[in-house]
Amino acid sequence: MHIPDGFISPQTYLPAYAVAGCAWVYAAQRVRQALGDETVPRLAVLTALVYALSLVMLPLPGGTSAHVLGVGLLALLFGVWTAFLAYSLVLALQALLFGAGGLTALPINALAMGLAGAAAAVGVYRLLAPRHETAAVALAAWGSVTVAALLIALVLGVQPLIASAPDGTPRFFPFGLAITLPAVVLPHLLLGVAEAALTVLVWRYAKTRGWLARSGDSPHAPHAPAAQSVPNEERQG
Amino acid sequence: MKNGLLAAILILLAPPLSAHDLRHQVGAAEAVVVKLYYDGGEPFAYESYELYREGEDLPAQIGRTDARGRIVFLADHSNAWQLKTHSEDGHGLEARIEVSAMGAVTLERGAFAERYPRLLAGIAVILGLFGLYQLFFKSKLASRRSRVQG
Repeated sequence: MHIPDGFISPQTYLPAYAVAGCAWVYAAQRVRQALGDETVPRLAVLTALVYALSLVMLPLPGGTSAHVLGVGLLALLFGVWTAFLAYSLVLALQALLFGAGGLTALPINALAMGLAGAAAAVGVYRLLAPRHETAAVALAAWGSVTVAALLIALVLGVQPLIASAPDGTPRFFPFGLAITLPAVVLPHLLLGVAEAALTVLVWRYAKTRGWLARSGDSPHAPHAPAAQSVPNEERQG
Repeated sequence: MKNGLLAAILILLAPPLSAHDLRHQVGAAEAVVVKLYYDGGEPFAYESYELYREGEDLPAQIGRTDARGRIVFLADHSNAWQLKTHSEDGHGLEARIEVSAMGAVTLERGAFAERYPRLLAGIAVILGLFGLYQLFFKSKLASRRSRVQG
């Protein structure tokens, strides 16, 4: 899903860098308050897992391929802002080491996948967890992929409108919304199912190990509705 | 006289008319073949691309990759080329292709390089950064505790 370098106009990525920069600073302040002594190693391991998994390509119908995001998992375990920062690190490494994504597209990828994807996951989870926790986790992961794909498709699809030559030839990504919305979003509706299965699997493991963070902006924080579902030993411990 | 005039007119019109006659020539030449594929090995098939000689704004060649995700071009007049390719779902790349005098080709793009050392390097960077944060966090926490106790 990453937008590569060269697809996005400066009129898009420069304001995106400004917005993402503010979000990174704010997230760093939130994370400093939220992360406990025991949480950092878990976050490190799960960020490394997300990084590795996002490089595993799954073939999709139509000859293309896609990869799981993992940002929903990070958001459900550590909260939106922690997930945003951790996923931004993943995106930066993918861009620098693999050429997946790119430095000009980094703020857009980070905002769409890291922030909006994480926020969607936590929002869906908080809404549905009181009814059925596992379904809430699955739908949260699926929602994170769908929202991120929708935003990526929108950003790609408006490029011909934002930056074109005088003769109307697009200077950057050439396809409009009518093409990008179905081409990007539809395969990711399918991919979201794999993402949901993976997230439920890891989330259940994390729950049995008592890894669900209860501090900061985690959806398992005591003030969150989903805190009711955290096992008793978790809340006492 | 009339026949002579008619013949002269026909002869004068012949060169412009011949411009409509499209001819073809088949020959063999050494070409550069660029193969594009996803990480899983699936070809980047039937996707549009633009190929530029370095420093030029007008593409020297445009088209679509073939069924096996290949682009074939003749590297005449230039050793350095810029390739741009996009798929409708947002995949693609921009890559510089260097064709040496000996015919060897270098595609300057990280995605085509070795994957596993880079994967391990990325994991090491993540763990290292969080390790540093933990050390920093611990030392700050320890100093704060000692200040509170003191």
